[in-house]
Amino acid sequence: MLDLLIMLSRYLFIFYIGFFLWQGIVYIAYEQGGFLGSPYHAISIQRRLIILMHITAFLILAYNRDTRIYDWQTVLFGGAGCIFLLAAIHFLDRFYYEGCPLIWTGMLFLMDISLIMLQRLAPTLAYKQLMWMVVGLIGMLMLPAFFRLIPRFEIFEWAFISICFGLLLCTKIFGVERHGSTNWLSIAGFTFQPSELVKFLFIFYLASVFRKRIEWKEFIITGALSAGVVLLLVLQKDLGSALIFFMTYMVMLYIATANEFLFFLGMIGAGGAATLAYKIFSHVRVRVAAWQNPWADIDSGGYQIVNSLFAITTWGLLGSGLTKGMPKSIPVVESDFIFAAICEEFGALFGAGVICIFIMLLYRGVRVALDCERRYYSILAVGVITMLCFQAFVIIGGVIKLIPLTGVTLPFVSYGGTSVLVSLMMMGLLQWVCVYCEQHDADEENPSILEAEGGQNYE
Amino acid sequence: MNNMKRSIRRIFWLLVLCFFLLLGYVGKLVLIDKEGISTNAYNTRLRYVDNTIRRGDIIDIDGEVLATSVLQDDGTYTRKYPRSRMAAHITGYSSVGKTGVEAAENFEMITLHNEFLQRVMGIAAGKELVGNSVVVTVDMDIQTIAGNLLGNAKGAVVVMEPSTGRILALQAYPDFDPNTVAANWDALKDDENSPLVNRATQGLYPPGSTFKLVTSLSIMENIQDWQTKTYECTGEATFENKVIHCYNNKAHGTVDLKQALTVSCNCYFSQMVTEIGPEKLREMMDRVGMETPSGFDLAYSQNRIGLEGDATDSELVETSIGQGETAVTPLYMAMLASAIANEGIMMQPYIIDHIQYGNGKAGKYTVPKKLTQICTTDEAAILQDMMVSVVENGTGRAASVNGVTVAGKTGTAENATGNDHSWFVGFAPAEDPKVAVAVVIENSNAYGSATPIAGKVIREALNQLENKE
Repeated sequence: MLDLLIMLSRYLFIFYIGFFLWQGIVYIAYEQGGFLGSPYHAISIQRRLIILMHITAFLILAYNRDTRIYDWQTVLFGGAGCIFLLAAIHFLDRFYYEGCPLIWTGMLFLMDISLIMLQRLAPTLAYKQLMWMVVGLIGMLMLPAFFRLIPRFEIFEWAFISICFGLLLCTKIFGVERHGSTNWLSIAGFTFQPSELVKFLFIFYLASVFRKRIEWKEFIITGALSAGVVLLLVLQKDLGSALIFFMTYMVMLYIATANEFLFFLGMIGAGGAATLAYKIFSHVRVRVAAWQNPWADIDSGGYQIVNSLFAITTWGLLGSGLTKGMPKSIPVVESDFIFAAICEEFGALFGAGVICIFIMLLYRGVRVALDCERRYYSILAVGVITMLCFQAFVIIGGVIKLIPLTGVTLPFVSYGGTSVLVSLMMMGLLQWVCVYCEQHDADEENPSILEAEGGQNYE
Repeated sequence: MNNMKRSIRRIFWLLVLCFFLLLGYVGKLVLIDKEGISTNAYNTRLRYVDNTIRRGDIIDIDGEVLATSVLQDDGTYTRKYPRSRMAAHITGYSSVGKTGVEAAENFEMITLHNEFLQRVMGIAAGKELVGNSVVVTVDMDIQTIAGNLLGNAKGAVVVMEPSTGRILALQAYPDFDPNTVAANWDALKDDENSPLVNRATQGLYPPGSTFKLVTSLSIMENIQDWQTKTYECTGEATFENKVIHCYNNKAHGTVDLKQALTVSCNCYFSQMVTEIGPEKLREMMDRVGMETPSGFDLAYSQNRIGLEGDATDSELVETSIGQGETAVTPLYMAMLASAIANEGIMMQPYIIDHIQYGNGKAGKYTVPKKLTQICTTDEAAILQDMMVSVVENGTGRAASVNGVTVAGKTGTAENATGNDHSWFVGFAPAEDPKVAVAVVIENSNAYGSATPIAGKVIREALNQLENKE
């Protein structure tokens, strides 16, 4: 009986994500002037779909096959997760009045997948993940108040970059090694990844610098400092983060200067640097070899990627059904390789749906940046959304063997306290920009004090 | 500001492009690469066991059941193999681990077709859940003939359809009874005759004189005047410090390539190959696919090549007549014979014909696939002609069949630890090849004992194929 239900649930999950994305299209269509349905209706359907998916998944997860009874611990956790989702829906609307609702639902959908998949893979990690989500949510809710207290945070550019370097140097000196990268810091038995926090500060720093007209002097200084950050990350063997930081820098520079030449020059430079890194660092060569032909070295170097490919391809488009696959055969499946586990149990179609949710988030984030008439916030919004989306691209691409694997987390989905916290804060920042700009663009006739002081310099 | 918006839009499209690449690649993985990746032996998911499902059957091409599941009193299933030893190396076993087709198609046999319907009927009417059945290309009539001819001689017989790569029979002895593998496990596993090893696909033997087919190709390509060039065979010749004898030191007199192959003159080939050099011969060994993984459905060994470009003359001449370090599987020799029969095109060998679903429908037919081109059509035709001469006038007379032109090549592989191994590879009818065979008999006392067996296998296989048309 359970097997039958699990089998049917596969179609149900595809329906959930498909219908969820469709409602996103309905909402966007309304904004663009078309009409496929009521946008308010669309959002409320999306919210219900999240809750329904949560309940369906936990009903399957909580049933114990051997004893044939429901496991109360899982049921309780499922209930707690449900309350968290409902609370998030409720409070986010209140605290970010007129924030983009699609960003919230997309983000919550991903977080729900995270809770379900972690409960399936390693329940204790799911508990921790939920705890971090709660912390992240609270931080996110306090963000608007914080920005109200300190309205001119763009003037702290030197503080941002100093803390960046401080954190990275601390990790370099006191760091602990995990999964081959020395990017963990342990304080009083409490470990976290400084590179995640640095992401936040780095975007602030770049946006603060690029809000003004860029002269050669600024360009060289930011370039050198950013290169320093990237280099420190490479030295910590955190190649994925290094790549993401580099791309974020290039994107923000390109947006601030609108100079294609610089962008392509930067890409060529990166190509050169990558070749150099390939020659110098053996771990880079190992990664590239494992990407080029993982089959040649299945027992060691290619083991992860090969198992990931097995997980994705064995069960086909609809997956094995929740709890029926063997995702645990992939090492570190709960963080870096969670996308493979999703593809295995929910099916490759669902996996494609997850990618589409990231596209939706990207679209909405860019929309926020485009709608915002103020340069600083616009740059900030683009920085945040491109960093998140590029990170998603890097890890999904690595897991499916499109690009060499670099260990970073899939935003909102992978297990990782710091990652969840920072991803949530970044989304909060994006939404705050959205809310702030909508409120302030309304009275554009009376420029705020900030603008009068010449905080902005249009090109 | 407008510049900035344009840049933002461009960055947006760049990232969207990245995401579409991801979508496209996931699609490619699941829709196109699925078979190639998920059937890899390292995939633990393939060994997935579900005891609530009645494992599908293994059926031969005419519908004869080779393996089936029987429900026991305690509600679990046990595996029965009606043809027992006769098809043991094809079906393999599914008890103490899995081998053969049982291993290769495990996942298919526990996959439910129309899963929804089956599950509902299972709950509503208590019907059993039945996995898909696997139909193999093997014809049990030919398989049985090959098995009986092989008898209690250690060795292997492979029968293949040259134009497609379909395996018609795959026999190896010693064999085992798959019904009792679990009960006899300790004895089987420690048996020094290694009955669990499928000699047809996993046994590595020096090819002996059958390798002269490859050397002949190399001669045709590298010696310009090979058609007119002759050699004076005195029954013995020295190269470096290696003395090469013809069989029984027989002096063959003046021979050209065709005569040399017909009488299997070791001295001729040794002399020619020293003129060609190791690099060219090695090149030819690669061209005829000795190192190409065949991608066969069942577990197989990779051929071992014992010749490098910088080999000494004695290594070179040894290799040219199939002695030395080089070793091949009977399956590969059948592929080589097939390729010569098939205008130089080597087909990928396969044994899984299609999948049969519970409702009687069939699907997932294997499509014959070209593996590599080993030589030109003309070269293949010349070799065919020479191989006919081997059977009509030369060492392969014992393989001739009344009313059919058989083409072939015999071989005797020296064996350091015992009597020589006897080989025969060939195909028939030469003008329109329907079957290709490779026969190897280990430690045969009699000279060329594989040859008459091969002749009978060819005769019976052709009869069977004709009867069924």
